[in-house]
Amino acid sequence: MFRRATILLLLALGWATAQSLVVYTSVDEENATRILAAFADETGIDVQMVFLSSGPALSRIEAEANRPQADVWFGAPSENHILAKDRGLTQPYVSPHADALTNEFKDAEGYWHAIYTNPLAFGVRTDMLEERGATVPRSWAALTDPMYEGLIQMPSPQASGTAYAIVLTLRELMGEDEAFAYMREVHPNVQTYTQSGTAPSGSLGVGETVIAIQFSPGFLRLVDEGFPVEVVFPEEGVGYEVAAMSILDGASNLEEAQALVDWMTSQEGQTQLTESKTYFLPIRSDVSAGEGIPSLSEINLVRYDGAYAAENRTRLVDRWVEEVLGQ
Amino acid sequence: MRAARRQIRILARDPVLLGLVVVIMASVAIFVLWPLLEVLFASLRIGGEWSTANYELIATRRLYRNALVNSLQVAATVGVVGTLLGYVMAFVLTRTNVPFKRPLHLAMMLPIISPPFVGAVSILFLFGFNGLVTRQLLDLQDFNIYGRGGVIFSQIFTFAPLAYLSLRGVLQSISPTLEDAAFNIGASKWQAFWRVTVPLSLPGVFSAFLVVFIESISDFGNPLVLAGATFPMLAPQAYLEITGSFNLGRGAMLATILLLPSMTAFAIQRYWVSRRQYVTVTGKPTSSTTKLVSPAAKWSLYGVVVAFAALVTAFYAVIVMGAFTRVWGFDYTPSLQHMRYVFSVGLNAVQDTVVIALLSTPISGVLGMLIAFLIVRRTFPGKAALEFTSILNYAVPGTVVGIGYILAFNSRPLLLTGTLAIIVLAFVFRYVPVGIQNGIAVLRQIDPSIEEAAQNLGADGVTTFRKVTLPLIAPAFFSGLVYAFVRAMTAISAAIFLVSADWNLMTVQILNQVGSGRLGVAAAFSVLTITIVIVAIGVISALISRWTRTTTATVRF
Repeated sequence: MFRRATILLLLALGWATAQSLVVYTSVDEENATRILAAFADETGIDVQMVFLSSGPALSRIEAEANRPQADVWFGAPSENHILAKDRGLTQPYVSPHADALTNEFKDAEGYWHAIYTNPLAFGVRTDMLEERGATVPRSWAALTDPMYEGLIQMPSPQASGTAYAIVLTLRELMGEDEAFAYMREVHPNVQTYTQSGTAPSGSLGVGETVIAIQFSPGFLRLVDEGFPVEVVFPEEGVGYEVAAMSILDGASNLEEAQALVDWMTSQEGQTQLTESKTYFLPIRSDVSAGEGIPSLSEINLVRYDGAYAAENRTRLVDRWVEEVLGQ
Repeated sequence: MRAARRQIRILARDPVLLGLVVVIMASVAIFVLWPLLEVLFASLRIGGEWSTANYELIATRRLYRNALVNSLQVAATVGVVGTLLGYVMAFVLTRTNVPFKRPLHLAMMLPIISPPFVGAVSILFLFGFNGLVTRQLLDLQDFNIYGRGGVIFSQIFTFAPLAYLSLRGVLQSISPTLEDAAFNIGASKWQAFWRVTVPLSLPGVFSAFLVVFIESISDFGNPLVLAGATFPMLAPQAYLEITGSFNLGRGAMLATILLLPSMTAFAIQRYWVSRRQYVTVTGKPTSSTTKLVSPAAKWSLYGVVVAFAALVTAFYAVIVMGAFTRVWGFDYTPSLQHMRYVFSVGLNAVQDTVVIALLSTPISGVLGMLIAFLIVRRTFPGKAALEFTSILNYAVPGTVVGIGYILAFNSRPLLLTGTLAIIVLAFVFRYVPVGIQNGIAVLRQIDPSIEEAAQNLGADGVTTFRKVTLPLIAPAFFSGLVYAFVRAMTAISAAIFLVSADWNLMTVQILNQVGSGRLGVAAAFSVLTITIVIVAIGVISALISRWTRTTTATVRF
């Protein structure tokens, strides 16, 4: 009796380990749970999740390189996945859906694929703009118009990585000196520089500000919850962050890991981003992010050099403090 | 020198006392003095080299210069206006016979027991871009609360009650018989006020100004929310240099500059104003009403007090409503979602805060009484230095304490960053000065012969302290406890540098929520904090009345 129970237990355990995919996820807990639960539902593959933010995840994967404990690293900016590739921690696999992705969203050799992207955007309270007879700004250039005086909130580059992405975008679009001249010009229209990169959308919701600048999820949430908010991707172009996934070198559940990459890059997987209300923007242009929200093909994405961004951060933030904030 | 040697010899006869003195002196040196010195050193070093380059930035960077000027202006304005308001409120509530003193007094206490940001968040709710008053009621299109006006408004609201509290005791102790005497020899009301009441309350006025000035200059909660894009201030800038740009040297430099005006004010208060202290204790009961003001003046001053109390009530009503409203300014449907968030995602911070406050409160209370006892009742070398250092933190802006702690305790042998200990220690040594000062004041009024009698009967130092002194100073001890608990629950300027993933505080959560624009959740956290503080004060007061009943019984025999 006892022996039979033991055997059953062992079998059950063996079956569980064979079937379950172990994922280190750097997507926030709430959203990762939704996305991966949908994957498990559709494929019948059991997923075990461990939540690690991108820094700790990378060091843990590196520490376990000899005996990998996980199969997939899910989430974290694509730069980190490039790092993992360079250090030989991941293995190539080209998804059958790779053709549907533009080059920003995949590694040419298949070491990583994007999961979603968050471009910078303006969130605009259309009702409040209308009241004051002002038009919706469609471009960076429009923001210098005096009719927006004191109406704009954006994060402070001193405190927020989102704000630094704004600085880098402008630098890429205009050249450095022009970008700083531009930010000086917008300064009188800025009501306050917030500490957090997600504060502007919060203020937009409560009507504390009329125009907010940050990554798009906060705005997409407001639109979805019925606020009179329009999401504008300025026509000159916007910087963006890409969350990617890679299959770890030596993964024990290779088939399941590949299934996850396949599903995530497929139309069904990408639609799930919208359906589970993650407010992340799908990376396939054939998947809509929701009603009234531009699809990826309509957004002008601006790429900047990650290595340059890291090296010049102190200098550029100092320059911002000196020339924009301290003018 | 010889006196010092004699003192040491006497000390050596009482090993418990000797040990106590050594331990307390060492801990004050480590946890008060060392962090401050570390801040100074860090501000003078760049990449391991001694350099004044950080300070030269003050001359070259317009931002820092503006921040300095703005902070000083705001602190001076808030200090003067806050003290004035506090004086009026204390005068009306202690010296005149007006109705509803008790509820008015309680309304003044609310801002004191509140977490930071309550004022700022209420101001946004009421007077913000989409505020209830400015937008919904007055329909103003472009009212802009951000900047100098908003910060000063919010700080006066937050800090004037502190001035009120410290002036209340001062005005209560001035005997109206002195004013009567002035009237009897033919003084007018103004003369009696200027020549009698004002000089008697001047030291109290100055220390109230000092409290408000230091609170204002080290405050970064209100500026962070309300200063806006074009009004830089020193304390938030120091915070941003360290947490945003990871530039410790510059942050330390700004902190040192923050320290100068507060230390100057502190020195003036201790060595100039305190010499002008007048004691008017006569032993006769003082009737509490004054003939100093005419009915017209009395009622107009009363109007000021009622207006302030009404403002306080409005602010807190708005906070409570904001905590239970879906989206303030957009959708006023009642909702429990913010509270649910606090009790799910925020529950850890709530538990941590209560644990930290419960740990630091008794330690700080006992330590305060011990130090006060040593200073008043015992002689030992270095006593004056101990007295000065132990209450030094009273005048040090919290920002500076926080930066000092991360600099001093981020390496061996005292690697404390990220632990519970560092927050508890910071709170203990930061809030012990009030306990020490209360203790000193009470002990000086107790005749030492009572303690000598106990020692003659064979009690040693510890027994004497425990059985005789402690019961006598119990009320001061408990008020020190209340202060320590309230501050531990509501502190942020030092704590913001010390919290970690394992040990987080509600006030920091409020900062993050305000920073993310989630004012509803911030309001919910604030409501919960205030509730906990009020419950705790109730429990401590109940303890006081039980304790004092038993002690009066024991002392009476």
